[in-house]
Amino acid sequence: MTTWEPPVPALSVRQVLALERVLAGEPEVVAGAGRLDRPVRWVHVAEAADVGVMLSGGEMVLTTGVLLAGDEHKQTEYVRSLHRAEASAVVLGLGRAFPSPPEAMRRAAERCQLPLVVLHRPFPFAQLTEEVQSRLVRRKFAAVSLSEAVRTELTALITGGAPLQRLLDEIARHCGCPVVVTNLAHRVLGTAGERSAVDDVLRDWDRIARQAGRSEGDGWIRAELGGRGESWGRLVLCGYRGDTETGRLLADRAAEALVLHRMLGGAGCSWEEQSALSLLTDLVGGAVPARHLLPRARAAGLPVNRRTFLPLVVRGRRAAPLDRTLRLLGLPGIAGELSATATAVLLSLARDQDAEALTAHFAARLRAEPADEHVVVAAAAARTSFDDVPAGLREARHVADAVADDAAALDLPPVVRLRDVHLRGLVRLLRDDPQVQSFAERELSGLLCDPGEDLLPVLRTYLATGRNKSRTAQLHHVSRPALYRRLEAIQARLGVDLDDFEQAASLHIALLAHDAQQR
Amino acid sequence: MSRVIRAAVFQTAWTGDKESMIQVHEQAARDAAAQGAQVLCFQELFYGPYFCQVQDPAFYEYAERIPDGPVVERFQRLARELNLVLVLPMYEEEQPGVLYNTAAVIDADGTYLGKYRKTHIPQVKGFWEKFYFRPGNSGWPVFDTKAGRIGVYICYDRHFPEGWRALGLAGAELVFNPSATSRGLSGYLWQLEQPAAAVANEYFVGAINRVGVEEYGDNDFYGTSYFVDPEARFVGEVAGDKETELVVRDLDLAKLREVRDRWQFYRDRNPSAYGPLTTP
Repeated sequence: MTTWEPPVPALSVRQVLALERVLAGEPEVVAGAGRLDRPVRWVHVAEAADVGVMLSGGEMVLTTGVLLAGDEHKQTEYVRSLHRAEASAVVLGLGRAFPSPPEAMRRAAERCQLPLVVLHRPFPFAQLTEEVQSRLVRRKFAAVSLSEAVRTELTALITGGAPLQRLLDEIARHCGCPVVVTNLAHRVLGTAGERSAVDDVLRDWDRIARQAGRSEGDGWIRAELGGRGESWGRLVLCGYRGDTETGRLLADRAAEALVLHRMLGGAGCSWEEQSALSLLTDLVGGAVPARHLLPRARAAGLPVNRRTFLPLVVRGRRAAPLDRTLRLLGLPGIAGELSATATAVLLSLARDQDAEALTAHFAARLRAEPADEHVVVAAAAARTSFDDVPAGLREARHVADAVADDAAALDLPPVVRLRDVHLRGLVRLLRDDPQVQSFAERELSGLLCDPGEDLLPVLRTYLATGRNKSRTAQLHHVSRPALYRRLEAIQARLGVDLDDFEQAASLHIALLAHDAQQR
Repeated sequence: MSRVIRAAVFQTAWTGDKESMIQVHEQAARDAAAQGAQVLCFQELFYGPYFCQVQDPAFYEYAERIPDGPVVERFQRLARELNLVLVLPMYEEEQPGVLYNTAAVIDADGTYLGKYRKTHIPQVKGFWEKFYFRPGNSGWPVFDTKAGRIGVYICYDRHFPEGWRALGLAGAELVFNPSATSRGLSGYLWQLEQPAAAVANEYFVGAINRVGVEEYGDNDFYGTSYFVDPEARFVGEVAGDKETELVVRDLDLAKLREVRDRWQFYRDRNPSAYGPLTTP
């Protein structure tokens, strides 16, 4: 037997019986009262005894029973055939054929739980069919309109290049409830909806994700995300308050849009990366207290209970390869690009694990990978409270920024920490101070006004290497006499003696302040 | 009282040759040890391709003696160096023409503890294993390692509940299921059968599957290795389905007692009624 499912929101038997025109016929439910929430797809007037063969399911059948009178076997068989055809209900107009509800029909209907309704007052069936049919058509039209409106809106967002979050926000606006997108491992890739409601949902996500949507009617509506026979994620409407059919329709349109978005996303940032990035950005930004982000961190797959958090910022590697390295090493963590050159990594370690040794291991593996760019791993001190993670991430970024340009020349340790950046760190912190800025301009003006000569990089290397002439010559691929000539030119332009420690130190500070301005 | 062990499994793709494959696994052992892992299990036939997609005697060459072969000896030294229990699923030659699909177990001090030979050998499209292996004859050994009592049940074995139960009866606390299984064929079973076995036998299971498509056929190995506890809950996340990944998880073995005290499956099983199950 096929099961008929309403393709669009339908009226229920109960709703039909409550219509004003129908009430005029004084309807009485005499059997199957427990099944009045069945959807009615169509209303069908039929006096044939074998009406069952003409139905395709979901019909409310209206009859006067004129062909059934006096034959109890026929009456019983009539009800059974409607049941087999999955009719929604049968409505019997009392009058000529049956002055009162026929007991055989009532018993048969009760046994197979088919709602049997009698109308006590004579009632033109045409009025009822017209009323119900026009309502059904209106509802279908409304559903199609909603479906079309949502599809058009989401497609416009996608073709306009909207990010996943924008799409989810729009879906949540239509649904009026939290919306969660996960991969197959239940890792949350994106959420939308009112923040407190989303947090409530995420608090115990691991458990509810596996239970939600198992049964219809609890307001949890799931739609699979996938294509070409392979599913790769799920969309969940969490506690949708409208009727299930509309929720289903919205979920299906949303799922189509998300699949399209992912397909068009091509080689761009994966949803996993976007999810990690938005979490890290919110942590660094500090607008939301870290503890409010805990549910999201947990749902994104980062272990958070009794852990040590290790905030890192890596220069010279993007998020995707870093994520691969984390998985290769079995280190639980997330990675996201804070800028074109700096990627934040947050590791979550068990309390007994040696954070310094594992950071060194991670850094050593990154350096061993073949890559075009020099890699720098800047680490903040490990944090045992999630509340301290934002400060840690900012510290790591500060360290990474402080060594940005001179990583090669500085001969840095594999993992750079605050204690390794010395004066650079301080200057970096003071870079927005107008007095520091004018100091830098004043000290370096002789070189800055004519950048064409390329003397500034020479001075930078010379000072960074601790005034080591042979190393500077080597790094700039020039002979020592050529370097001497350039150093003399620098001294002449600036009016300083580079052999004088204090003057050289002053220039070094000015140069660091100048460089800090450039980034 | 909790008794936590840090256990690891490693999934990877065929590199194209045996030596580089061994090196990848040596590095994984070092990475696991760096995290403080106490036991690590590799994937089925770990240093080779999954050659059972074809039937070619050339692959008999991959078989080695256990424990006297070079791979076992090499990893005994590594286990001792890293203080790490190693489970090595590999192709075993007992003597020419007598070959098994086997896992050798090495204790954290490098001692060879013994081996398990895969009992159930499939012979279906893409998995022509009867061409390469005799059915195992090792019974259901449980190895008393430094990290805990460990059993091994290899790939296709997992569809047969009897071996899982035998390992439980022999006292296994953690059973590894190294596998090579392909997308489409068993995808929906992969997260169903081992968790069910973990519940039925009230122990931990570590499931490992290789990744990638190899040059010998269309099998698309989908990784998604994981650990599951005696309540069928995944411990942490399941690994990805395409890339090399080391999965390191803390398993609290005290959970065995807690779950067994609650459910008492071992007390209530009734072997006297199971005679028909073992009638040939």
